[in-house]
Amino acid sequence: MFLTNAVLGFLSPRVTVRAHCDLPCGVYDPEQARIEAESCYKIIEKYAANDDPAYRTRALAIKEERAELVKHHLDVLWHDYFKPEHLEKVPNLHDLFWQATKAASKVKGSTDLADGKKLLDLIDEVDAAWKATGGLEKTRVAGRPS
Amino acid sequence: MAPTILPGDWLIVNPLATGWPAPGAVVVFREPLGETLAIKRVAAGAGEQVPFAGGYLTLAPGEAWLGSDADEKAAASVGSGPPIDSQRYGPVDVDGLVARVLFRYAPLRRIGRIGRRPRD
Repeated sequence: MFLTNAVLGFLSPRVTVRAHCDLPCGVYDPEQARIEAESCYKIIEKYAANDDPAYRTRALAIKEERAELVKHHLDVLWHDYFKPEHLEKVPNLHDLFWQATKAASKVKGSTDLADGKKLLDLIDEVDAAWKATGGLEKTRVAGRPS
Repeated sequence: MAPTILPGDWLIVNPLATGWPAPGAVVVFREPLGETLAIKRVAAGAGEQVPFAGGYLTLAPGEAWLGSDADEKAAASVGSGPPIDSQRYGPVDVDGLVARVLFRYAPLRRIGRIGRRPRD
């Protein structure tokens, strides 16, 4: 045993090299986009109900920011979670993401509650696509309440 | 570098290599960004053109274009993300060359030469 260990120790490499890949965390969840879009929706509501110009300015600035985050989270799902083979299950995937990110752009500049609602509905469609391709089982950490 | 090289492989290398071997050979080198000691396959050498960022890039003397054997799918199968290679950090100068990979001596069932792979 001692001899084997000595020989193995002598033979084993001293230096480690890396093939070096990105390490994704593997967590992809439309809920991230949905929560930011809900912020936008509520902000539009609050904006309409308040006449204070300072409050309204703040509301618009925050809505711009949140809508940008919606676009970011949708993009990450689109590029990193969805794979070519998912297109079989969700043939309209690309169009769906195009519509959803366009709706997010619309919400950035809009104070119409209907635009906020449309964005939420499209994110729910993305959520359905994510579930149809096993996203819920594959990417959510087990034990999280759904 | 799956399937050619897998985590835990023991390799014999030639650290006396002074120039990039011909395309197809596997090399150990220091990455231009971050100095990570990395292993990749030479995809193209000085004077050759490589497709990059929608156009073409001609490699200068002393430069090599290094690529991964694993595509995104193969890397994902061993739990990694997209490979980081010359597509990310561009051509690598011969100053960064550390060694040429010759042989795998462990694990036992995978012993063998790390040969040059013909280009497709």
